[in-house]
Amino acid sequence: MVVGELAHERDVIIIGGGPGGYHAAIRAAQLGRSVTLVEQDQLGGICLNKGCIPSKILTQSAEKFTSFLEGENWGLEGGDISFNFNKLQQYKQKKIEQLRTGVEALCKANKIEILNGSAFFLSEDKVGIEKGDKFDVFRFRNAIIATGGTPEKPPWTRELSELVFDQHSISDLSEIPDKLLIYGSDYIALEIGMAFQALGSKVTMILDDGKEDFDFDQSICRELKRILKKKKIDVVRNSEVLELQFKEDMFTVTFELKGKIETISGTHLFVSTTIRPNTNQLGLSRIGVEQCAAGFIKVDAQSRTTQKHIFAVGDVTEGPALAVKAIKQGKTAAEAIAGIQSQSDFHFIPIVAHTQPAIASAGLTEKEAINLGNDIEIGQFSLSANGFSTLSGKKEGFIKVISCKEKQVLLGIHMVGTGAIELISAGITALEMAARDEDLIFPNYPHPSVNEGLLEAVEALRNQAIHIPPKSINEQKLKV
Amino acid sequence: MEVKLHDIGEGMTEAEINCFLVKPGDAVKADDPLVEVQTDKMTAEIPAPRAGIIKEFKVEPGETITVGTTILILEASGHDGMEKVKVTSHPANSHKLNEPLQSFASFKGKRVLASPFTRKIARENSIDIENITGTGPAGRILDEDIYQYLASGQSKPDPAEQEPAVSMDTILSPPAEKGIIPFRGRRKQIARKMAQSLYTIPHCTHFEEIDVTELITFRKELKNQNQNISATAFFLKALSICLKEFPVFNAVLHEEKEEIHLASVHHIGIAVDTDEGLIVPVIKHVENKTIREIHAEMKQLTEKAVENKLSVKEISGGTFTISNVGPLGGSFGATPIIQHPQTALVSFHKTKKLPVVTDDDQIVIRSMMNISMSFDHRVADGATAVRFTNRFAELIKNPKMLVLEMV
Repeated sequence: MVVGELAHERDVIIIGGGPGGYHAAIRAAQLGRSVTLVEQDQLGGICLNKGCIPSKILTQSAEKFTSFLEGENWGLEGGDISFNFNKLQQYKQKKIEQLRTGVEALCKANKIEILNGSAFFLSEDKVGIEKGDKFDVFRFRNAIIATGGTPEKPPWTRELSELVFDQHSISDLSEIPDKLLIYGSDYIALEIGMAFQALGSKVTMILDDGKEDFDFDQSICRELKRILKKKKIDVVRNSEVLELQFKEDMFTVTFELKGKIETISGTHLFVSTTIRPNTNQLGLSRIGVEQCAAGFIKVDAQSRTTQKHIFAVGDVTEGPALAVKAIKQGKTAAEAIAGIQSQSDFHFIPIVAHTQPAIASAGLTEKEAINLGNDIEIGQFSLSANGFSTLSGKKEGFIKVISCKEKQVLLGIHMVGTGAIELISAGITALEMAARDEDLIFPNYPHPSVNEGLLEAVEALRNQAIHIPPKSINEQKLKV
Repeated sequence: MEVKLHDIGEGMTEAEINCFLVKPGDAVKADDPLVEVQTDKMTAEIPAPRAGIIKEFKVEPGETITVGTTILILEASGHDGMEKVKVTSHPANSHKLNEPLQSFASFKGKRVLASPFTRKIARENSIDIENITGTGPAGRILDEDIYQYLASGQSKPDPAEQEPAVSMDTILSPPAEKGIIPFRGRRKQIARKMAQSLYTIPHCTHFEEIDVTELITFRKELKNQNQNISATAFFLKALSICLKEFPVFNAVLHEEKEEIHLASVHHIGIAVDTDEGLIVPVIKHVENKTIREIHAEMKQLTEKAVENKLSVKEISGGTFTISNVGPLGGSFGATPIIQHPQTALVSFHKTKKLPVVTDDDQIVIRSMMNISMSFDHRVADGATAVRFTNRFAELIKNPKMLVLEMV
């Protein structure tokens, strides 16, 4: 490799074209900066090509399949329904390409220069970009590192790692697993589990790291227990995986549970992995960009690294590996580069699962709120008492609102139920505004709709939910 | 454990204990505010380094302590308030790389009770919103709290510009005979500035009598033309003309450098008495402004001062200061204290009708106003000050002269 003497002059160089990178690029361009975006694979990154979007095509498919089966209730009569996975894969490809074309067109419209290749830092103000035999040096004023992360499977899968699916490879699966084993407890594990269950798989979930339950508010966990049981998805809790074997097209997981050694078998194994930051090839130590022990780049609320003119956003930084975080950080970094005093704040980052029914959560859980010393009140409303949920046959779930008695401020909102993901935004806005119960009780809500469930959950804080009978209110009080 | 006064930034070495926010026996969580301290630059809360129970106080409110002094004793309690919620069992062989980072509890900092818009205002003014005490319900921070914080000057890094050290002893209301006024916070800061100014600057105050009869007539004429211009606007313009001719009064002495720096602009501060106390908004570039512009700007700044809406920009950068105590009546002279590090300050006193002997030995009734001009005697001499006020008197005695100075 010969480092050319001539460096091309650039203004803002963004390394990585995932959601963090392309949001940063467009925002920086909007603010008058000249932007160069370096992507070694495809624009849209993991989110669009392998992660969020493909997995949501799967969950949507499962949901449509389920509603097809429920069609009879609605007077829809027809023959048996079959599921053609190849067609779904074609549809997925089409949608991904459509979305990617959209991102490309937007970049073009914003006059963003796209360079294909892999980038690494040569010095504090220079990156080298390599593509095959081609190598160029670029000098920049500001850089944003948005190189994302790579899934890392647990050590016990190592030898069979190639055969084990992770959150990226699972979307390329083109058959319905007969017996699917899932290792994990996050939203991805739940989405994959419920989707394939709906499409016909027998699913067993093994909670990772010996966890007793999922990472949600205790009420959601309780509801999940019931829902999973109803769907005949087995959940192995408090277990430690000891060994994985693969024989005659069957995976066998050996684990220890309450001192006993047990095994479980399946045709497919999916693990919801941890994410390792893609920093190794960047040459960060050369330029004084500090990383934490696990390799994540340290950034401040503006996404600024320890080098003031270099920023980092998304999975390559500390915190949850979520596109919502990357997007916010990307925009914040671009604004900071343009001299705007922006900041990211993830107190109320939504955690959502496109499951059946969906889960959405923002702010403190009940336990977190209590452990932080809050004197809390809880308002909870079951969707079975919501008119729209009832008429549409989606009665499962509830909305739970946690409020601080002393400060009269909402602390957290947790939902399970069809419509939860769209509805959580109203809750997030309220949380960001430091809303009190009245702020959500006063407005008018569309009728009939699941939205009214949020209203009644907040009204339940005052024991004034119309569709909760008095007795039940008392019971609820006792429960709290 | 002992909770000590640690360096809370800005090179502060000591602070005064304002008040305790807890009492002995209280259980506190990590990061709970324990005590409020005041430095000459800011008010700050010292948070609990960990969860525990307050054992005893080692200092008293009002005491000034140095960095490193033990403030109180905190007894560690059994459980840490920040304890993780999640149940983690025996370590599984799959070590999660970024697990501690993925725990949201640690990822989230301290929640600020303010709307995103309000938080943005703070950021745009380079204010750490956590330093602001919210006046909204349950301590919610409102837009007004931020503006107030800005106007109070607490966010200013330069102490010289922070609390206007103006000679307003005459307009500050005297302490009531009954009760005790706490000599802390802003009052104390004003005191410190006054002392600093008076101890460093050898003050010399020079009095002059100004004939404002013609100015009053001129203003009446203007009023008939529907042009209502305050007398102070004329004074400011006239002062600016004098400063052009005597730039030494628009200067800063750098003693250690052995240099007197003459300012190229006339940024004149106007002392305004408000309910919150004295505040000195600054009219920038008086030298380039018409009397009407000066009048309009002064009116606007005064209104802002009264409503406590002045920004830091609007109260900083002054090169000269005036104080018009005339409207308050009564006073015919004062020895105002200069706003350190400026060189001079002029007070205008009440205008009275007095018998005056004219050049041709007639006794006539004229409207007379006294002014007191304090100046730094290291920088200028009495004779210069007399020439300065003479020139000023001349311009005001015959306001038409101002026309000659129009640019």
